[in-house]
Amino acid sequence: MTINPLLRALVEREVKNRFLGGVLSPVWWLAQPLLSLGVYALVFGLFMKAPVPAQYGDSYVAFLAVGLWPWLAFAESVTRGATSLIQQASLITKTALPRAFVPLSTVLVTFVLNWLALTVIVVLFAALGFQVHLSGILFSLPAWFALFFAALGFGWIVSTAQVLVRDIESMLGPLFMLLSFVCGIQYGVESIPAAYRDSVLANPFTHLIARMHDTYLAGAGASWLDAILLAGGALIALIGYAFFRRVAPHVDDYL
Amino acid sequence: MSEILLTVSHVSKTFPRIGRHGAGFAALARLLVAKPSAEGFHALTDIDFTVRRGESFALVGENGAGKSTLLKIIAGVLQPSSGSARRIGTVGALLELGAGFHPEYTGRENLKLSAALQGLTGAAFAAQLDSIIGFADIGEHIDAPIKTYSSGMVVRLGFALVTALKPDLLITDEVLAVGDESFQNKCITWMERYLADGGTLLLVSHSLYHVKKLTQRAVWLDHGAMRMVGTSADVSIAYQAFHEEKQAIEKQQTLSKDDHDASALGQYAVTDLRLDHVTMTGMSVRGRLKSRDGRRPQVAVGIVRRDGTPVYGTTSEIDGVALHDVGTGAFEFALTFSEWALLPGTYTLRAHAMDPEGMRVYDTVERNFTVLGDSREQGLVRLPHRWDA
Repeated sequence: MTINPLLRALVEREVKNRFLGGVLSPVWWLAQPLLSLGVYALVFGLFMKAPVPAQYGDSYVAFLAVGLWPWLAFAESVTRGATSLIQQASLITKTALPRAFVPLSTVLVTFVLNWLALTVIVVLFAALGFQVHLSGILFSLPAWFALFFAALGFGWIVSTAQVLVRDIESMLGPLFMLLSFVCGIQYGVESIPAAYRDSVLANPFTHLIARMHDTYLAGAGASWLDAILLAGGALIALIGYAFFRRVAPHVDDYL
Repeated sequence: MSEILLTVSHVSKTFPRIGRHGAGFAALARLLVAKPSAEGFHALTDIDFTVRRGESFALVGENGAGKSTLLKIIAGVLQPSSGSARRIGTVGALLELGAGFHPEYTGRENLKLSAALQGLTGAAFAAQLDSIIGFADIGEHIDAPIKTYSSGMVVRLGFALVTALKPDLLITDEVLAVGDESFQNKCITWMERYLADGGTLLLVSHSLYHVKKLTQRAVWLDHGAMRMVGTSADVSIAYQAFHEEKQAIEKQQTLSKDDHDASALGQYAVTDLRLDHVTMTGMSVRGRLKSRDGRRPQVAVGIVRRDGTPVYGTTSEIDGVALHDVGTGAFEFALTFSEWALLPGTYTLRAHAMDPEGMRVYDTVERNFTVLGDSREQGLVRLPHRWDA
């Protein structure tokens, strides 16, 4: 497979951007999610004693980590994607760069880094004797791809929309925080009062996170659910691309 | 005829007006469901021309005429609001100082993405890298971040990349002006060889000298519309005349209006003035003056450049010539200039009616004329000269 050289150059830049500059930059990709993990583990695991659903073993930290990293990959890539066109304004308004590559490279790099981080963590957990299944690294991939496609679709939409409506990025933070509490990351869906459980289960992300838990923690194999999630992710990506195709050629006027 | 490299057909560009709070959801919705609105600033209106291989082209015009916008559309950076720009073959673009360079990255790192953007990748890029760095000639700065560069160094790097691309069509905005003399010469030398090898240049320049030297055809853009298209020599002359006229008007407005002796105004007047046989070597002038008191007036004839720079002037009094009396207070004169060696350009001939003593000017009539030709010599007149071996 030959990767478009422009996309490759953009990805290289994106990676360099993450690792240059700050003193902590080289470890930040791992440290930042670890800090979030620590905060959640403290609040929900220690203070509130959120129960781990029985089928996922007994380690709250492992339960949290497996759901949190994919979610952070999604939330972070869409948030970064939102400002990607604006950050690369000098590039896209002065060169004939295929614009769709800009959010794509941002989302791609964010996902690869977070996936790597979780893979390292899962291997570490296994070595430390936590109840994790290394087969999950393979069987979680369809869910990861579904999440990636969804992030890409949303990234394409918000990156162009952000150019015209600059408030979008600031709305994403609270929105993603709310979403993170209703898809079974910090506590099992069982902990949500029955009256609200149906609406939480209607959230596709709940099922995505559940697939992560099933594969990494319960050793589940491939499932027909993967196909549905992948199809859903691909649909979002297509819609996002259609949106981007319409708006992106005109963003120069507003950058 | 050689193949067409670039077809610009009916290109228009309108920039929307943007308020302080950005464009908003309404603008976003408009982009999604319908064509962008035609409201806004019309940067370009119905631009239409073609560029053939080997036939270099210049865009001239005042600041804000739309030259850079048009170049961006041609380079594929900006989408026109209507019309299209079709390119065939490879295109290299030097649009703006450091366009596409990221200030945080080193020159070497920036070259990689910039080269990829212009289609030079992988092994081909690696093979050219040394010659690019050699042409830029910025020494060890190549491994320093671009933000530490002087503007001249940025231009060097940008141009060096273009030399490696050897595109079919090279688009340059007025970026070369930044480099120092020796680098400019290096660039001009490169461009001349590029043109001699069959390259095609699309140039924006305020230097009419470069326009005439490097290009065959030119478009004059004025407030986003095509004011003139033709050979570089013709367009240069017309464009220069436009500027000289504009400056002359400004100059005149600052002069006081009452140069003339108001009480005597109308005593002597120029009633007719005709120019014939204007060529590079001469011209004939015929005119008629009216004298209210019947005394024989003197006539002064002067030639000025459009901006008012005097070229030559004389009077019938200086030359000791008497105007021909044709009766009823009318006097005629005929004057022939020969071998005047005026350089191509637009000039104004002024005839002044003077009193019989040749002391005071009573009336002035002007006629514009153009000396055609495509000489690249500078100045007003060709001075006789020879080069000694």
